[in-house]
Amino acid sequence: MSSAALKILRSGYVRGNSPIHKLDGRTKFLFFLWISVFNYVFYDLYISLVSLAVLLALAGISKVGKIVLSVIMIVAVPILILGIIILGSPIGFPHNKTPLIATMIFGHEIGLFLEGTVYVSIWSTRLAVTITAALLAYLTTHPSDLAAIMLKSRLPYKFAYAFLATVQLIPILTNEISTIYQAQVSRGLNVQANLIERLKSIVVLMIPLTLGAINQTQTRAIALESRGFSAPVKKVMLSDPKFKLGDYVMFCAMIAFTVYFIFLISTRGLVPFMQGVQYLVPGG
Amino acid sequence: MTSDMKKVQPTVITKPAGFAILQVVLVPVIAALNYVTGVVINLLKLPLFMDTWATMFGTVVAGLWVGMAGGFLYNIVMAFTFWGLPAWVWGFINVYIAVITWVFWRIGWITIKKPVKLILAGIIIGATNVIPTTLINVFIFGALPTYAGTSWIYAIILNQTSSVISATVGSSIAAEIPDKLLSLILAAVVASRMPERYSLRPAK
Repeated sequence: MSSAALKILRSGYVRGNSPIHKLDGRTKFLFFLWISVFNYVFYDLYISLVSLAVLLALAGISKVGKIVLSVIMIVAVPILILGIIILGSPIGFPHNKTPLIATMIFGHEIGLFLEGTVYVSIWSTRLAVTITAALLAYLTTHPSDLAAIMLKSRLPYKFAYAFLATVQLIPILTNEISTIYQAQVSRGLNVQANLIERLKSIVVLMIPLTLGAINQTQTRAIALESRGFSAPVKKVMLSDPKFKLGDYVMFCAMIAFTVYFIFLISTRGLVPFMQGVQYLVPGG
Repeated sequence: MTSDMKKVQPTVITKPAGFAILQVVLVPVIAALNYVTGVVINLLKLPLFMDTWATMFGTVVAGLWVGMAGGFLYNIVMAFTFWGLPAWVWGFINVYIAVITWVFWRIGWITIKKPVKLILAGIIIGATNVIPTTLINVFIFGALPTYAGTSWIYAIILNQTSSVISATVGSSIAAEIPDKLLSLILAAVVASRMPERYSLRPAK
């Protein structure tokens, strides 16, 4: 998981000229929040699957589909498989009644049950939707635009700095840890040792890394101050993000779907397309 | 002239110059260290998370706000880049850990000179952390088995009790107590090895 996350943080922005790239960063982050919230409000597998399909299509158009799929495979799919194995089995989910595949072996029933499988599928799909929406917004927004958006959204200047600095620092510190790791291995660090020895190894890796990082904070602080970081003046931005036609179209679509979703909730409840399945109660 | 001389007082430094900016710069370092620990855990193939140790370390060496902000920021960055929106709520776990670490630090338990108290503090942090962890697991992740390392405990408890919440609590206890204990020990050890000149606490 770490290597995939690192790859994303390292690559950061994926260049492109797709309609998603052209949208203002605020619109993309609003869309990310909007679709994530609605997927958590509804308890319906079909809504989550449609949302995921739409997002994957948008990711494909934006040329970030491969990265998104690799993250889903690493984060959401293992939860889905693990959950189905445990909760889909006869001994798993308490509400399991309807067998999907079931057979008797030595007097014991084994197989998969609908209730547990659907329950796990809903939660895993929700997770996949939020991951895809987050990556779509993050990978198609240039870091300088990201800073400008945060400031434009009236987030504190220090928060914008801290967020972007973290994203930049992670690959730097990861490179450093691999150098420290190689140095320690050449000094006899045994990564195949028993559990206690490996636990002790964390200390010899983390001390040089932490001290080095703290040492660098002094340099960073001086560099920031030399650019007037804490000067009591209004900060200006390199770029000034503005909404365009595409953003307004996106807002209209979100408003229209919100109205439709509110209509669905008021008329058909939180499980609009899977009604009649008794166990599908929000919160499990 | 004598009265002018009296007005000139020696400069008393209560806070190192640029201390606030150092704290701001340290916040992303704490967040990044939390992340990089995951890389180390992968390298060493350990069955732990340890992604809160830097929050504890930041709280010990630079104060409560640095620990809280660094820990929370780590979860925000991961939620907006890799884990998806719901994961930001894990940031509250980091805030809680910073607060409880600060309490133990204030009463002098977080030092390698008092190993019994340090271990006790680690166990208390891990045990109390089960409550918010379980709440987040149930309401945000549907009480699913999200961690393969403790999924067998989850399966056994689920089999015995038929309750996904009991299974989540059981697997959280198994994961949280050793994880937070070892994280706290690591934070205390690294803090103890930090030279005085790197101290980020204002002079008393």
